[in-house]
Amino acid sequence: MEWVETTAKTIEEAKELALDQLGVAVDDAEFEVLEEPRPGLFGRTRGEARVRARVRPTKPRPKVERRDRRRKGADKPDQTDDAAVAADVDTEAVEAPAPTPKPRAAKTAARKPAKKTEEPVNDANNTPTVEAVAAEAEKFIHGLLGALGLEGTTAVRHDGEDIEVDVDGENLGVLIGPRGTTLLAVQDLVRVAAQRRIGDHTTRLRLDISGYREKRQAALARFAMEQADEVASTGEERGLEPMPSADRKVIHDALSIRTDVETRSEGEDPRRRVVIAPASSAN
Amino acid sequence: MTVENQIPAPVASAVLEHVVRSIVDNPDAVVVSGSPGRGRLRLEVRVGPDDLGRVIGKRGKTAQAIRTLVRAAASRDGVDVEVDFVD
Repeated sequence: MEWVETTAKTIEEAKELALDQLGVAVDDAEFEVLEEPRPGLFGRTRGEARVRARVRPTKPRPKVERRDRRRKGADKPDQTDDAAVAADVDTEAVEAPAPTPKPRAAKTAARKPAKKTEEPVNDANNTPTVEAVAAEAEKFIHGLLGALGLEGTTAVRHDGEDIEVDVDGENLGVLIGPRGTTLLAVQDLVRVAAQRRIGDHTTRLRLDISGYREKRQAALARFAMEQADEVASTGEERGLEPMPSADRKVIHDALSIRTDVETRSEGEDPRRRVVIAPASSAN
Repeated sequence: MTVENQIPAPVASAVLEHVVRSIVDNPDAVVVSGSPGRGRLRLEVRVGPDDLGRVIGKRGKTAQAIRTLVRAAASRDGVDVEVDFVD
């Protein structure tokens, strides 16, 4: 797992920078403080705080016990979760007195169990495979689309432990939401359903819907460049609107190639924002 | 069938049920019910005793994500909803 190293005036700031770089929430990262900031004379800081961080590869113990408990339950013949789900779906299909989107919901869901049996089976001693995580993620998304009465397709790409799930279809705006807030919520939930629930602690999962994230990234990077131009020409720093860590990372990355400005993050989530400042010649 | 038919927000209820069932260890214990709240519909989701922590998540993160998504889904029902979790 890849480590990033950051320095800042305080340990907190250095940690926040690291989170921005990793693009994950504080709960999903682990830190090592490499150097504490040393106070100099008259309150000036002499040494900077240096931390290194990575995406947390393991979760606390209780989760492991939970996983084992679930496996035990799933071993019972004919009492697997799948059987239960399948039974439930059938009843649902028959019973549904057709309030608008319900029939389609049942139909989409009904395809799931068959697919599930082809999933790689995970040995209790092994962490789930990337394929298993991806299959759970797709199952979750298809169920969600069905419940919403929407149609869409999923495509999964993975590169090592990085998994990207792309959802495409008509009218998926409801799943994106203002500034992608609903998309981030769905991504959180996919992660819980497809990673945490089956005991996966190693893969990194990202979700995109109708290419929103890609477009947003390109737009953000362009916007960052424009803002940086203004900062460079006026010599005055500029704070951007608050945005989630993944978006802040796009800004930091986009401007990292520029030598005339520097970026940092300020404030606490969800109000945390990027500040673009003229490059200080002191550094 | 765990979603009661009389809930006047079929899309939001179906989404809520799907999401919660997908993240708990005991999906059969998940029950979604609805009751009128102040100016909006209150959706209550009941989960098994061991699953409440999973549904709420660290610092309420998962609960927040569920609320965001279910409120978005409720726009397709044309109603405003709030979501409560109980075990």
